[in-house]
Amino acid sequence: MLHKTIIYTTFRPISCYLSGFFSFFLLFLPTHLYALQITLNVADVTAANFSARGIKVVLAHGGSAELSIAEMHMAEKSWRKVHMRCAEFLLNSDHVACRKGRMDAIPDMPITFSYAFASQKLNLRLAGKANELWQVSADLRAQPWRATALLRNAQGTRLNSFLPPDGPLPSQGVLNGTLEVRGDKAGISQINADMHLTDLAAADESGLHAAEKLAGKVHVNATRTGQKWNWRGAVDWQSGEIFWQPLYLRGGHTLQASGQWDGSKLKVTQAVVNLPKVGKVELNALWDIKKRNLLEARLIGKNLSLANGFADYAKPFLAQNALSATKLKGLADVDWQYRNGTTQSLLLKLRDVAVVDGEKRFALHGINADIPWHAKLKRVAHVSFADGELMGLSLGATQWQILMRGKSFILTTATLPILDGKLEVSDFHMRNKNDMWQWNFSSTLTSISMQQLSAALKWPEMHGSLSGSIPKVSYQNSLLKVDGTLLFRVFDGTVLANHLELFDPFGRAPRLSGNLDMRNLDLDLLTRTFSFGNIQGRIDLGVKDLELVRWRPVRFDAKLASSPGKYRKRISQKAVENISSLGGTGGVAALQRSFLRIFKSFGYDRIGLSCTLRNDICTMAGAEDKGDAFTIVKGGGIPAITVMGYNRRVDWSELLTRLKRVLQDNQALIQ
Amino acid sequence: MNNVTKFCFMLFILCVSSAASAQVNIEINTPGVVALKQSMQTRHAQLAEHYASGAVGLTSDGLVALRDANAVPLASRQKVNGLIAAENQDRKALYAEIARANAHPEWEGDIRNTFAQRWIQHAQAGWWIHRGGTWSQK
Repeated sequence: MLHKTIIYTTFRPISCYLSGFFSFFLLFLPTHLYALQITLNVADVTAANFSARGIKVVLAHGGSAELSIAEMHMAEKSWRKVHMRCAEFLLNSDHVACRKGRMDAIPDMPITFSYAFASQKLNLRLAGKANELWQVSADLRAQPWRATALLRNAQGTRLNSFLPPDGPLPSQGVLNGTLEVRGDKAGISQINADMHLTDLAAADESGLHAAEKLAGKVHVNATRTGQKWNWRGAVDWQSGEIFWQPLYLRGGHTLQASGQWDGSKLKVTQAVVNLPKVGKVELNALWDIKKRNLLEARLIGKNLSLANGFADYAKPFLAQNALSATKLKGLADVDWQYRNGTTQSLLLKLRDVAVVDGEKRFALHGINADIPWHAKLKRVAHVSFADGELMGLSLGATQWQILMRGKSFILTTATLPILDGKLEVSDFHMRNKNDMWQWNFSSTLTSISMQQLSAALKWPEMHGSLSGSIPKVSYQNSLLKVDGTLLFRVFDGTVLANHLELFDPFGRAPRLSGNLDMRNLDLDLLTRTFSFGNIQGRIDLGVKDLELVRWRPVRFDAKLASSPGKYRKRISQKAVENISSLGGTGGVAALQRSFLRIFKSFGYDRIGLSCTLRNDICTMAGAEDKGDAFTIVKGGGIPAITVMGYNRRVDWSELLTRLKRVLQDNQALIQ
Repeated sequence: MNNVTKFCFMLFILCVSSAASAQVNIEINTPGVVALKQSMQTRHAQLAEHYASGAVGLTSDGLVALRDANAVPLASRQKVNGLIAAENQDRKALYAEIARANAHPEWEGDIRNTFAQRWIQHAQAGWWIHRGGTWSQK
């Protein structure tokens, strides 16, 4: 077999010299072509946005040809060892054509192309199964030159080699539509695209950016002037779902946008996004695409529905904080401006908004607010709400004026109605320091009725009032601290609470610590409230080193003793029996039941009991200790009664169970 | 329910074996520990299928992590993210609470390491473990 090799140096650009090359080549052809295999080697081909190296065409016996390219670059993509076989290859001075061609990379898509040298017109057609068609027509001699691609049932997966490998790549779906490109010597100058996507699925390797069953229309029109592109586009996302960590969105969104592109920065001069069940949002922005950096942005939305807006677009960013289980309702106007890597201003207007915590810890209704926040300038926000609830306590209507300056918020005075009383807050100051929010305030709690408080907290009905002056409450690093003393007036006595600290108040296991000092509590009111059997007298109760985890005591040193002073001291038989029953099998009352049964109440001298709780064990002591026994109620008067305890170490859980039983059925369990 | 039983058994074995191997009382029961264990136990019923599918795996620092989101239906990926975040929040709180209940908050790191080893030891065959920067299947 005769081999003939022709080496031609460089095409620049391809469209201008291709015709000349083949004419030159034809001069060397002998008369009996059928006996030849001719190999053509082309050193290099370059054009705008295109280059190829190591091009080789082998013309074989029977009119077929093998085309191969060692390395090809197009639109910043590279391919190596591109190979194609044409079953029917035609080459003459007018044109070159290939029929029944197949590329190794896409063996299921027969290729047909033709190129006329004089008119520089190119026709390329790739057809696959299921009526799939990629058809390109180009007129390269026209000024500007133009090319049109028609896609019919085009498989989205064929675009994978053109897309960034670390981004979502299509795994299924088809495209229908046209892509029209025009250009000059400097490259592409105009792009028009109309595409209809159907059943598109795509995902990146991690699965954190993915889409399924996507259907919609995309229209893009872009024109280049010099180095700058002006573009206009529209997206009608009709159906399907997208997960873009952490957002999950369904179809129904539409977007109209226009802007510029200078090769590194994308400017959106005007965009309107229609968010389903939320409203319309206008956006303009400037992105540095290469650095993946948002330089500037402004977002404006009016009458946005917060029900879906918060759930779909804000909540996913609030995973596992106090607001992650929150539901919002109502309408909002938003005007957000972003520049230099931070929010410059946020104007927020809320109308008849409700905020409800999914775990029923807090709720606010009828919120109206005008919050003109600015990163550097002083602004005043006006916030009001109609009613609310905090940890089961109802809150009344109020209005606040908040002075804002950057990440500092000051509320000079504010009133928060709680049940029938109110919390007067002064000098509330919240600020962000080192990316951590902290706040503090001082307050006065004016007279909340214990009757209402106990009902709200589902406690036994109590009488009296709760009030207090709190010099300073502060929150920092998940720790809520109360400096000063809280004063409760209950059971005609006083309860002072100090050194209160609450760690992780919205966590799974909030931890409260502090001291309680109760003075002069009226036992008559107390025992009536808790259905314990009547005791008359007064007591002091000190609880030091109290620690509650998830509102259950895990540690304390408690000491209960009769208050000093003169007052009536009587204890009913039922109360005696109940106190005795708390001792369980070891607790025995020094009560001569057969004789004393005729008395309904007894006199006593003093009451004393202490409990040191550690590791769920309560170690007890009494008013007087006698070896293992201790006196809980020391008798005095006529008839007198003395109640002894014999079991110094009691399981705390068991003690609570017994107490609960006593309070529930109010029956004596003397053992 | 079967998963819950397995989880309880695993937690029990974990606590007992860990308690035996260290001076710290890992079995200590405070209201906080009980609350956290209950919360994790309830969540385990939802996480078990994701451990089995390979979507979620155990990490060598005593936490859980998303390994392959593609193994989860698109609509559920947000929920799985939430489960992982909540589980890790509970795990960190559990280690801190056990250390604090032992009156040695500084032991938190050791307790976490002990738990991490035991979680991995008692993980079911086929679950994914993240160690030394790579995932491997048990």
